[in-house]
Formats: sequence, structure tokens, C-alpha cells
Amino acid sequence: MADMLEIDRLSFRYPEAPREAVSGFDLRIPQGEIVVLAGPSGCGKSTLLRTVNGLIPHMYSGDYAGDVRVGGASVKGSDMRDLSQKVGFLFQNPENQIFMFTVERDVAFGLENIGVPRDEMRERVDEALRLLGISDLAQRAPHELSDGQKQRVALAGVLAMKPSLVILDEPTSLLDPMTAGDLVALVAKLRKDLGTTFVVVEHRLDLLVKVADRLVVMSEGKKVLEGTPRDILFGDDAERYGVATPAVTQLQKMLARRGLATTGTLLTPGELAAELKGRNR
Amino acid sequence: MMWLSGGFVFRRGDSPYHRLDPRVKLLISALMFVSTLLVRSFYELLAVIAVMVAVAAVATVLKRVGRTMVLTATFSAFIFVINIVFTRNLESSVLYAVRFVAIVVSTSLFFITTSPDELEQVMKTFRLPRDVVFAFVTAVRFIPVMMLDTIQIMDAQKSRGLELEKGNIFRRVRNMIPVLIPLVVNSVVRSGELAEAMESRAYGAVPRPTSLVQYKSSVTDKVVALAALALFIAGAYSFYYILPVQLP
Ligand SMILES: Nc1ncnc2c1ncn2[C@@H]1O[C@H](COP(=O)(O)OP(=O)(O)OP(=O)(O)O)[C@@H](O)[C@H]1O
Ligand SMILES: [Mg+2]
Repeated sequence: MADMLEIDRLSFRYPEAPREAVSGFDLRIPQGEIVVLAGPSGCGKSTLLRTVNGLIPHMYSGDYAGDVRVGGASVKGSDMRDLSQKVGFLFQNPENQIFMFTVERDVAFGLENIGVPRDEMRERVDEALRLLGISDLAQRAPHELSDGQKQRVALAGVLAMKPSLVILDEPTSLLDPMTAGDLVALVAKLRKDLGTTFVVVEHRLDLLVKVADRLVVMSEGKKVLEGTPRDILFGDDAERYGVATPAVTQLQKMLARRGLATTGTLLTPGELAAELKGRNR
Repeated sequence: MMWLSGGFVFRRGDSPYHRLDPRVKLLISALMFVSTLLVRSFYELLAVIAVMVAVAAVATVLKRVGRTMVLTATFSAFIFVINIVFTRNLESSVLYAVRFVAIVVSTSLFFITTSPDELEQVMKTFRLPRDVVFAFVTAVRFIPVMMLDTIQIMDAQKSRGLELEKGNIFRRVRNMIPVLIPLVVNSVVRSGELAEAMESRAYGAVPRPTSLVQYKSSVTDKVVALAALALFIAGAYSFYYILPVQLP
């Protein structure tokens, strides 16, 4: 079976731009993986995501070379109607992706657009609301919601389309740490329950390393690192590309340098606690 | 601004009137509107206003409608003065002034009891193009967001020393520029992001999109609509053929 996402030698340059925003990019993501995409501002992360759900080339024109396939079908050769049902895109600012005046109408927005019959639509909307634990908000207006709730509404609208691949562009940047943690837990749950594949652009690696299978680091439009979060964060190159290592990882590196902890590779506070406890015994 | 939001912006309510089919509410407001134009005497107009007050009472929005009446009355005073100066006819001047208040109230009654969702439904029954309806919906949706944006930008600029409440009118207008520019930039960014999100959720993918909610007229809606029409016809008939009034 083909991988969920296949990107081959992809390059894209916006019109009038001096250089390519994404250049010679390759990536394969099997179904059910959670992949984190990191890299400095302006390195082309959002551009890459646009090529996955078809905004590039269907909405943005420019120089496009290479190929992107989702579930085996070329993005360039599919239309937005098909793509919107395969790839869900959660944008950074939830405010600007809620259109309707009530939550349930907004969750139904995509389904209305592709002409899903009313009975089926009702079921899918209710299911998406339930999945995100926001059934009680169904009749609220967007301006009556908190940022975290808006984020969930936007995600419910994305999930109601039953995408097999969901991309999240800096989903936690406007959320407080606790709500951000909830979102990450939700991603893990959806992957487990529905087998959804995720590509997440995120700077807060400490939250995501727990659930991510793979970390891809970009710089100036190119893929520069790829591997498990552990391999990359404990490798020598991560800091060079400005990847913020989680505090626990830094602490463990310091302890290891002074001979206080093993030279193992720890990513979460839990792992470090277990390690130190084992040493004391 | 306050006048507009008090008199025309929907607030959620739970009266029997709120629950009517939006098209029936539109019909009632339209009939009241036309009635205010048809009446020929002050007393007839009072009868129409009495109906409006009754509707407002059923809709439990008497207070808001009262406030709108008082605020529009100030404009009306102006209309009255101009009329009396030019026509020197007291009755017709009063009629014009009060008629203005009545027109505003009949329109306002529709807007304050009809949610944007229902407005959308009404627009759809008139078969307006989807783009037009959607533009309207998002415009209404983003009113509170833009208001908040404006307040935040004003606060930010004030904290940097911008004085919005000082100087003559020209100075004040010029002082608004540091508020307007970020506001415009914000809106441009916002509309770009909205376009991306719309496209990602298949806006315009099929020529005939479906709809989650279907508004169906209940028996009550039909009865109310017929009753409103009957009252209108009976009123018009009695005003024109039974009651002895001369044209002002
Ligand atoms: N719509 C556009 N038109 C022209 N150039 C663009 C457009 N969007 C992005 N770019 C340019 O493409 C490059 C990559 O931008 P992109 O938004 O993909 O970066 P990013 O990694 O998502 O950055 P950030 O972390 O700040 O979101 C940048 O040089 C940017 O200026
Ligand atoms: Mg970006």
C-alpha cells in the first residue's frame, strides 16, 4: 500500500519571490503516524502544508515542480472537493476559520459545501461535536467562545469531513499550556481511535515529543533533519537549526555531563524521574 | 453606534415572537412598515404604533424598542421643525415626525428578533446568490471581532501616547489614522486567512450546497401570518372606507 503522504522532489516559488519557499523536498509518511515539522520562521513550513491540502497549486499560483500524493492520488490532479475530504487543515488562528453564526452550522460548513444530504450531515456534525467534547456548545455564537473552544470548533469542522490526514499549523501558539496539552492529548486519541495521520507544525516540542513518531526539521525550504524525536534532539545538529530542545532534555544533558545521570536519551519529566529514582536505589 | 447596536443588533431571546419563522417576522414588519406609509391621520398612526408596541411586548423587547423610540424622536424633532417651517401645517408635521419613529421601530423589530442564521435563511428564500448570502453572513459574524480589534488597537495606541479625545474635529479625525491603519492591515490579513480556510473546506465545490438546518413553517407560523394579513386588510379598509378622515 502507498504511504498516506508522499512528497517527491517538491519545489515551489511564489510569484515574484526571489527564491523558492520549498525546494527539492522529499517526505514519506505512513498511515497513522504523527509527524512534527519544525524549523525557523520563514523556512517554508506553511508553504509545504499548503501543497499537501492543495491550496498550492489550486489557490496560489507560482512555479511548481515535483509531486505530492495523498493516499496515492496526486494533489495537483485532484480538485478541492476531493482534497477537502482527504486532508483537513487546521490553521493557526481559529478565529479566522469560523464563518457561521452558530457552532453547529460552522461545523457543517464543509459538509454543506460538498452537498452531503441533511440526515447524514446531522449525524456527522453531532459525532464531530461529541468527539471534541463540545456538544453543549452547538448553539453558541463564535464570539461567545474562549480561544480553546474556538480551536475545538475549528477542529470539529475539519474532522466532520472525515479526513484521513490532518495538518495542524502551529495549533497551540494561541493556547495556554493546559489547553495546549489537551489538544496534544486529543491528537494522540484521534490517531489511536481513528487511525488518523497527523502533520503538526509546532515549536513547543516538549508537548509533542510524547506523541510524535517522527520529527522533520526544515531550513530555507529544504529538509535538513529527519528521525525520531529522540535521535534528533540528542543529536548534534538540532541546536544548529534552532530547534528548541525540551527543558528535560537540556537538564538531562547537563546531569549527564556531570555524571549524575546516565547518558540515555530522556524526553519527558516522567522518564527523568524514573531514571533518577533507579539510580538512588 | 450605540443607537445602531441597541436598535438593530440581534440579541438572543426566548419569546414566542422570536420563535416565529423569520419570514413571518419579515412579513409582520413589512406590513407595519407599509401601514405607517398608508395612514392619513395622526390617530390612525397611533393605532399602528399600538400594534407595534403590542408586538414588542410579545417579543419581550419593550425596553429596547422604547429606547429606540426615544433616540429616534430626537431626529424626528428635526423633521418636525423643518416641516412646520415649510408647510405651516401642525397635523401633517406631527404625522411626518411620528411616522419616522414608526418606520424605524417596524424595521428594528425585525432585526432585533431575527438571528443572523435566520436572516441567512430569509436571504436564501429570496434566492440571492450564495456568494452574496455568505458575504453577508461573514460580515455579521465578524462585527464583534472587528469591534474588539478596534478597542484593542485604540488602547494600544493610547498607551503609546496617542490622544484620541483632544483637539478640534480635524485633529481628532487625523488622530484616528494610527488606529485605522492597523485595523485595515488586520482586516486584510484576516480576509486572506478566511479565503484559505474557505477554500480548504470546499467552498463553492458544488453548485447546490445542502444545508444543515431546514426551516419549516409550523401551523402557528401560518396562522400568525394570516392573522397579520387579515388585520392589515381590515385596518386599511376601515381607515379608507369607514372612518371619516380627510387627507392632511
Ligand atoms: N502568500 C505568499 N506570497 C508570497 N510569498 C510568501 C507567501 N507566503 C509565504 N511567503 C514566503 O515564503 C517563505 C516561506 O514562508 P512560510 O510561511 O511557508 O514560512 P513558515 O515556515 O511557515 O514561517 P512561520 O514559522 O513564520 O509561519 C517566506 O520567505 C515567506 O515570505
Ligand atoms: Mg507558518
